[in-house]
Amino acid sequence: MLLDIEIDAKDHVDAAGVARPVLRGLRLALARGEAGAVLGPSGCGKTTLLRIIAGLDRGFSGRVTLPAHSRLGMVFQEPRLLPWRSVEDNIRIAAPLARAEEVAALLEAFGLAGHALHFPGRLSLGLARRAALARALAIKPDLLLLDEPLVSLDAAMALSLRARIARLIDETHVTTLIVTHDLSEAIALADRIFLLSKPPARVLATLDVATPRQLMTEEARRELTQKAQAALADL
Amino acid sequence: MIRFVSFASILLLWAALAQLSDPRHLPGPLPVAEMIFSEARSGELFLALGATLARVAASFAIAMGLGSALGYLMGRCRIADDILDPWLVVLLNVPALVVIVLAYVWAGLNEAAAVGAVALNKLPGAMVLAREGARAQDPALDEMAQAFRVSRRARLRHVVLPQLAPYLAASARSGLALVWKIVLIVELLGRPNGVGFKINLAFQLFDLRLLLAYALPFVAIMLAIEVLLAQPLERQVSRWRLDAARHRD
Repeated sequence: MLLDIEIDAKDHVDAAGVARPVLRGLRLALARGEAGAVLGPSGCGKTTLLRIIAGLDRGFSGRVTLPAHSRLGMVFQEPRLLPWRSVEDNIRIAAPLARAEEVAALLEAFGLAGHALHFPGRLSLGLARRAALARALAIKPDLLLLDEPLVSLDAAMALSLRARIARLIDETHVTTLIVTHDLSEAIALADRIFLLSKPPARVLATLDVATPRQLMTEEARRELTQKAQAALADL
Repeated sequence: MIRFVSFASILLLWAALAQLSDPRHLPGPLPVAEMIFSEARSGELFLALGATLARVAASFAIAMGLGSALGYLMGRCRIADDILDPWLVVLLNVPALVVIVLAYVWAGLNEAAAVGAVALNKLPGAMVLAREGARAQDPALDEMAQAFRVSRRARLRHVVLPQLAPYLAASARSGLALVWKIVLIVELLGRPNGVGFKINLAFQLFDLRLLLAYALPFVAIMLAIEVLLAQPLERQVSRWRLDAARHRD
């Protein structure tokens, strides 16, 4: 396994000091080269889980096991690009060891070649997300973490970016964990779906997606959707 | 163009008022210009300007460096803020003159006391602005840098300083204006050279030509620093904002 998570307890403490349980007894594992999707209702702690894996939140009991010196590429919900640096510089700052031709190839692959020298303020949300994705890939991640990568995009842009991410996962086999609240997005991108319960969240069920995804029949897709909906309806 | 007309109108108004007044109370632009050339030829003007500018540079650098570092620390660390805030309040409210006199009494009439007193007057202003800048840092960008394991040095250069830059620029511009005025007082009270010393001399002799001959070139130099250095620097650090505004849909 590349990623093995056992979170016994994670609470959110509000301004008044009152603790609210967010995650309880959550177990999840991903093999190298696998794409997992964490699916659950809004506010169930999906982003918290991703922040814990990325090492941004250490206030929990349990453990996150990753091979030593693993590189984590994170794509936040908001692109979080430095507005005072060009798109290219944003990638270089996160990945100082990336060679110039590698950065250029990434910019090209994500349709950003014409925006390399632009400040991020000029980019639409869709382009900025692509830039954030290119930045995460520039570090050659062992694990790619995507937090709601398609949220707030218009339908056409979301479909186009979804296809791009699916191609990326299939071609590079980068181990990926995607957080989403959208079942069709999870089916389109992941090999395995982890359904989270309401808070305090745990993994309610794990559904395997038939791969390769491109060859998945409509019937198999419908069956998987029904299974996931049934599990979520029990919440 | 408007600026030029406005500046010319000041000169015209001055010349007109000088015509109407006793030249001992308000000398006109021409007699003052003659005095400036005469002092420049003798070298006295450049010696005085040099001494004052060196004091401005030293006290400004100390106040900005120390004040910005302490202010940033206060903005990022609650304990540092709790410890330093009472000191800040005291420094903000002690009159500049009191600090200068105390510095001369305690440390003697020397260069260190003069520069230190000026720096101490600018210090709280620099601290307040740097603290505000530190508090306004975007935690989302901090997290991004942390997630990508960006080195401390790169984080300071690419994440922290660009966010602090508008606050530091405002602090530098207001600080420069404050520092040079206080340097003149410090020189007037206890230094044997500099523009402030010359102004004191002119006051003793009741020679307003001499007073203006030293004051005006110094004001011109400070204006040049503001226009040629401070303003372009400020424009440079906010280039990305202008770019985003220009290309917004």
